[in-house]
Amino acid sequence: MYFTNIQKLENLLLVAVPQDLMDDEVIQLRREVLQAIRQYGSQVVLLDFSRVDICDSFFGRFIYSTSKMVELMGAKVIIAGLQDIVIETMVELGMTLPDVDAVLDLDDALALTRSLSQNGGAPTEDSAEIETLTLEG
Amino acid sequence: MAEIDLLFTPVSVPIRDDTHAVVASQRAHRMAAQLGFSPVEQTSLSTAILEIARNIVKYAGSGEMVLVALQDEGRVGIAVLACDDGPGIADVDLALKDGFTTGRGLGLGLPGARRLMDDFDIASALGRGTTVIMEKWKRT
Repeated sequence: MYFTNIQKLENLLLVAVPQDLMDDEVIQLRREVLQAIRQYGSQVVLLDFSRVDICDSFFGRFIYSTSKMVELMGAKVIIAGLQDIVIETMVELGMTLPDVDAVLDLDDALALTRSLSQNGGAPTEDSAEIETLTLEG
Repeated sequence: MAEIDLLFTPVSVPIRDDTHAVVASQRAHRMAAQLGFSPVEQTSLSTAILEIARNIVKYAGSGEMVLVALQDEGRVGIAVLACDDGPGIADVDLALKDGFTTGRGLGLGLPGARRLMDDFDIASALGRGTTVIMEKWKRT
């Protein structure tokens, strides 16, 4: 399946958040994120906000709902690419995003993904072994 | 109040769905840029407008927004009038508290918009609708 706003990089899923987020787009984008996680086995979903220059609480709800759904698939949402002005406005607005980590850029997102993979989050040889054992049992 | 000059023809935006909410926010952004608002001021204003306009769509279904560029004793500002004839707000004071929501939101809409603007007034009557008047002035 082809995803318009989603790209895969190692165990990272890059999601370009559209500039103007609409109600129906949110539902569509969230579904695509979940499908892409399943398809690629991604561990980290990076919501890239670099295209967004107006971020109201509707975006906050999108981040929150996406992160909760992604968590249920065993992956994790991080955000990046927030413009300085957007950050200033978000804080003034009172938007806090508990449970969602932010990174500065793609480099940091990739570094975080790799460290998670090394710490056993990824399907490693060990987990393959457990799977085999279960099958035999 | 002192004399106020209209700098531009007021802009009226009907709000029927969230596409219109984005249009209202973009119009305000452009108007603020034309008046020389700083980038942060432009963003604050358009974010507050997006919040209020999305509230109209969510709770009232439809409404209207009017943007007015003002000049008062050398200061320039933008006044925003947002009105709907929706169900109205039962307890306005409660709706202005952070975290209060009857919908699925984060409850930031009204208090957040108030923080982003310089002046914010709201009037609401059950069964008759809600009117918000807010102003943002350019820092000198």
